Amino acid sequence: MTAPNSAERKTCWDARDHLWKCLDDNDDNAASCQRFQSEFEAKCPAQWVKYFTKRRDFLKYKIIQIRGPHQK
Amino acid sequence: MVPGSPKDLKLRTRLLVTLLFGGGLLGVWWFVHSEKQQKLRQQRVEQLRQVALGQGTFSLMDHTGCRRTKRDFLGNWVLLYFGFTHCPDICPEELEKLSTVVVTLDRDASLPPVQPLFITVDPERDDEAALARYVKDFHPRLIGLTGTVEEVKHAGRDYRVYASAGPKDEDGDYIVDHTILIYLVSPDGLFLDYYNRMKSAEQIADSVRKHIKNYATL
Repeated sequence: MTAPNSAERKTCWDARDHLWKCLDDNDDNAASCQRFQSEFEAKCPAQWVKYFTKRRDFLKYKIIQIRGPHQK
Repeated sequence: MVPGSPKDLKLRTRLLVTLLFGGGLLGVWWFVHSEKQQKLRQQRVEQLRQVALGQGTFSLMDHTGCRRTKRDFLGNWVLLYFGFTHCPDICPEELEKLSTVVVTLDRDASLPPVQPLFITVDPERDDEAALARYVKDFHPRLIGLTGTVEEVKHAGRDYRVYASAGPKDEDGDYIVDHTILIYLVSPDGLFLDYYNRMKSAEQIADSVRKHIKNYATL
C-alpha cells in the first residue's frame, strides 16, 4: 500500500482534530463522538488510528500526572 | 591665552599619550579575546571529531534513481533527517520545519546554499518511487535516499540512528520507531550539531548561520 500523500495526511489530521475536539468537549465520552470516530477511522490508515489513539491516551495521562489524579 | 601655549601643548600631549596607551590596551585585550575564541572553537571541533559521528561513508540511491555517496555531498553544508514515508505526523512536521530552515537561510545571500537530505529508515517500503512521491511535498532541493536494507542500516549506524519497525497489522502496515533528529554536517563531512523536536525553525536557522560564519574563520 502506498503511503498517504500530503492531501490525505491533512484529511486524516483534520478528522483526528475534530474527534479530539469532540472528546475534549464531551469529557472523553466516546459515545457522544461516534460520528467523529467513524470519520477518523475512515480517513486514516489503521496504523495511524492506533498510533493517534495511543498518543491521546499518553497526553491525557501526562495531564493527570501534572494536575493530580483527584482533580477534575 | 595664546593658542599653542606651553600649557595647551602639555595637555594635548598628555591626552594623546593617554589615548594611545588606552588604545594599545584595548588592542591587546581584543587580540587575546579573539585568540581565546579561536581556541574554544577548535576545542569544540576536536570534541565533535572524537564523538566521530558521520565519519563513515554511505552509498545510497536517491529518489531519481541516481547512486549517491557521502563524497558527493562534500563541499556542501548538509541538513540530514532520518524517517519514513508512512510516518503519521512527526516526519512530515520535521521535514516541513527543515524546509522552512532552508528557505530562511536561502534568503541570506552571504550564505552558501544548504543541502537538505532525507534518508529512509524503512527501505522495505520506501523505494525510489515512494521517496519521489514523498519529497515533492517539501523543499524542492530535498533529496530522498534509500537502498538495500544493509546500505540503509550502514548509513544509520554512522549517525547512531535508532530504528525499529513495529508489528505489521492485517494490511501489512507498520510504524517504524526511530531517532528524531536533524543533523548538521559541514562541507568536509564533519558532524557539527543536531536539533531535536523542541528546536524551532528559527532557532535551527540561527544555529546553522552561526556555524557557517564560524567555520569560515577556523
